[in-house]
Amino acid sequence: MEQKPFLQMRNISKTFPGVKALDAVKLEILPGEIHALVGENGAGKSTLIKILAGVEIPDPGAEFLIDGQPANIQQPLDSTKRGIAVIYQDFSLFPSLTVAENIGFGREIGQGRRFVNWIEIRETANRALQELGVEIDLNSQLEKLSVAKQQLVAIARALAFNARLIIMDEPTSSLSQAEVEGLFKIIRNLKAKGIAILFVSHKLQELFTIAERFTVLRDGKYIGTYLKKDLNEEKLISLMVGRKVEFIKQPGGKVGQPILEVKSISKKGNFKDISFRLHKGEILGLTGLVGAGRSEVAQALFGLNAPDEGDIILEGKKVSIHSPEEALSFGIAYIPEHRQIQGLVMRQSVAKNITLTSLKKIRGKLGFLDNNSEKNLVNQYMQVLDIRPKNPDMLTMQLSGGNQQKVVLAKWLATNPKILIVDEPTNGIDVGAKAEIHRLLRQLAAEGIAVLMISSELPEILAICDRILVMRRGRMVAEFNIDEATQEKIMNKAFLGTANSVSA
Amino acid sequence: MKQFVKTKEFWILLMLIALSMIISSRTNVFFRPDNIIDLVKNNVVLGILALGMTLVIITGGMDVSVGAVIAVITVIIGKFMVNYGGNLFSTFFVAIASGVIIGGITGILVGYAKIPPIVVTLGTMSIINGLMFYYTNGTWINDIPQWFIDYGKITLFKIPGGDESLIGVPMQIIIFIVMAVFTWFILRYTLIGRAVYAIGSNPVSAMRVGISLERTLTFVYAYMGFMAGIAAVVHTSIMRQVDPNAFTGFELQVIAAVVIGGTSVTGGSGSVFGTILGVLFLSVLNNGLILTHIPTFWQKIIISIIIIITVSIDVIQRKRIERNLPKVDVEI
Repeated sequence: MEQKPFLQMRNISKTFPGVKALDAVKLEILPGEIHALVGENGAGKSTLIKILAGVEIPDPGAEFLIDGQPANIQQPLDSTKRGIAVIYQDFSLFPSLTVAENIGFGREIGQGRRFVNWIEIRETANRALQELGVEIDLNSQLEKLSVAKQQLVAIARALAFNARLIIMDEPTSSLSQAEVEGLFKIIRNLKAKGIAILFVSHKLQELFTIAERFTVLRDGKYIGTYLKKDLNEEKLISLMVGRKVEFIKQPGGKVGQPILEVKSISKKGNFKDISFRLHKGEILGLTGLVGAGRSEVAQALFGLNAPDEGDIILEGKKVSIHSPEEALSFGIAYIPEHRQIQGLVMRQSVAKNITLTSLKKIRGKLGFLDNNSEKNLVNQYMQVLDIRPKNPDMLTMQLSGGNQQKVVLAKWLATNPKILIVDEPTNGIDVGAKAEIHRLLRQLAAEGIAVLMISSELPEILAICDRILVMRRGRMVAEFNIDEATQEKIMNKAFLGTANSVSA
Repeated sequence: MKQFVKTKEFWILLMLIALSMIISSRTNVFFRPDNIIDLVKNNVVLGILALGMTLVIITGGMDVSVGAVIAVITVIIGKFMVNYGGNLFSTFFVAIASGVIIGGITGILVGYAKIPPIVVTLGTMSIINGLMFYYTNGTWINDIPQWFIDYGKITLFKIPGGDESLIGVPMQIIIFIVMAVFTWFILRYTLIGRAVYAIGSNPVSAMRVGISLERTLTFVYAYMGFMAGIAAVVHTSIMRQVDPNAFTGFELQVIAAVVIGGTSVTGGSGSVFGTILGVLFLSVLNNGLILTHIPTFWQKIIISIIIIITVSIDVIQRKRIERNLPKVDVEI
């Protein structure tokens, strides 16, 4: 029998300045269905969820039907009133309030009340928890509960809203195995009550355990909706990968002596048993899904996240790095992922940003900064990296994203690093600028710098790296030479790999 | 009872009792009902302002302009009574309206224009102080009408004093109690009161459940102004004159009372009961310092040290708790 869908979304597009995050995407959810939404990092899943939640408004032309009726969703309340509840990855609860209030409060707001009815709040909370079949003290402060219990509170809140569709964003990311099984039991109970679940996750095994249908997004586009029986893990991955943006393949460089050797470093809750070698003149790619622990490893090398165990060997000598100052003194530079937050002082001039890491170099006789040597240093790097416009006094915030990224590069190159770690170096800049950054990185490697590049963009990794490491859930799961790597192979490892499969 | 032992309020109460014991062991007048009544009466202004400040700090904000705001309102109602006569009702009205307007402007700047509250209130503090000195030249208003002074002397309920006489409870204390109950009711039983906690606890989640940050913050600062209005009338009724300089630096005391009372400077938690205990703690401390003849300049030093200690404890506890919250890796 054909069921009438609870939710139909058609022709959903969303344009942000410079990017089309979603392009005519479809989504259909049946009552009581467990539906998985999958895609690579940046495929548009989060944006689609935000539109469902009423946090973002889609571009004109979108069709949004609930029970076959057009729904006008403009703000979060519109969506909760129609039975759509989102459980964000951070749960979006109120840590300092009680369990009862966390569950019952949203509903009271939805009813547009002025006064709080505590008896009703407690009853609502009680009913919701009973429906879930769990026992949590209503008076307990939320922040004192375990993460798994906080998640149950978030689900109970969704039930208190009489949700008919609960969207769960990476719900298992901070749960133990036993807790995940508990969650799945609850999800099946909800299904039995006719509540649909939209499950967003990177963990394919889990999705194949719980979900019935899969909707796949890639690069903001709708790829298709499939029944579980028509899919297996390999097929699903092949649907997700294959981004069409290709970059010019940069010829590999002459790889020199090993400069850095990492021997089974571990950090509790971050990564475990990570080993690799980095050579002079090489670009080593480090990829994996968001949350796989890539940036944590990079930060470990830069002294921001010292490992608990294992050795870091630099030019044959064992070192321990406890602060960025130490890392810099060893010749390690790290360009973080969010350049606007972590890498640049946006309201300062380009020149001041470039010299920030090398103030000692431009110090004059009395210890004051010497304007002439500052000018020389700045001009040198603006020339080498071709930063435009060629005005060192311009505020950094006035530059384009690509040129901002070059300023970050200049800033760290001014420290004369032997090892350069770049984290998502082309995130959020346009294609032309990306290619230019690629060329620059290759040029730096040719000059003998060892580059470790973290990136989620496989075409980018395949275009410029000499070797590729893949991480999954804090473990190193694969290493490829560039001539044997393909997008499919890498994604297979990123989604499904196990630590044993590393050939080293 | 078991629940109560775990609360911050319980620990403040213990500290208050301990402090009272120490002081009463050094002077025998401390626990006399007339000393207690005097002590409370002398601190109701602090208390009323602290009630308003509790809401502000629960949202994670700060209002350093309270001293200036209450000072200017005392000048306004002083001039109003001297020049126009007026009666109790119109005096209250003028005071409250002034407070709500000033607070409302602050609230709009914080809530809608999203300017950090410390910047806004530092600004309003300077503007108000500047205008006030231009207008008053720092001179006192001494000719407050007799009818108002008479109101200020009203006492209610007789309670046994230290000796055989009966002493009444000054109406200023009654006003404080009414305001405390009113504020407690707002925080506990109105949706906007719960929104105050929600915003302080997690502003993003608050927005996601449909709370208006703009409206709630405007309300909070306007309410602070409302309390400043009430406190200005109460203060004038006790002092029977207006000194434009009376509240210089007073914001420190108000913020101290709230913070000592267990309201978290990082937002999200705090209670009227805690604030009352905080006010009592400060009052007893000040009173004790006077009774034991410790020079008054020590007060500021001691209060500031206590603020730093309580805030440090709060921030350290919060960091511990945050480790327990779900870790998020943001997808862009």
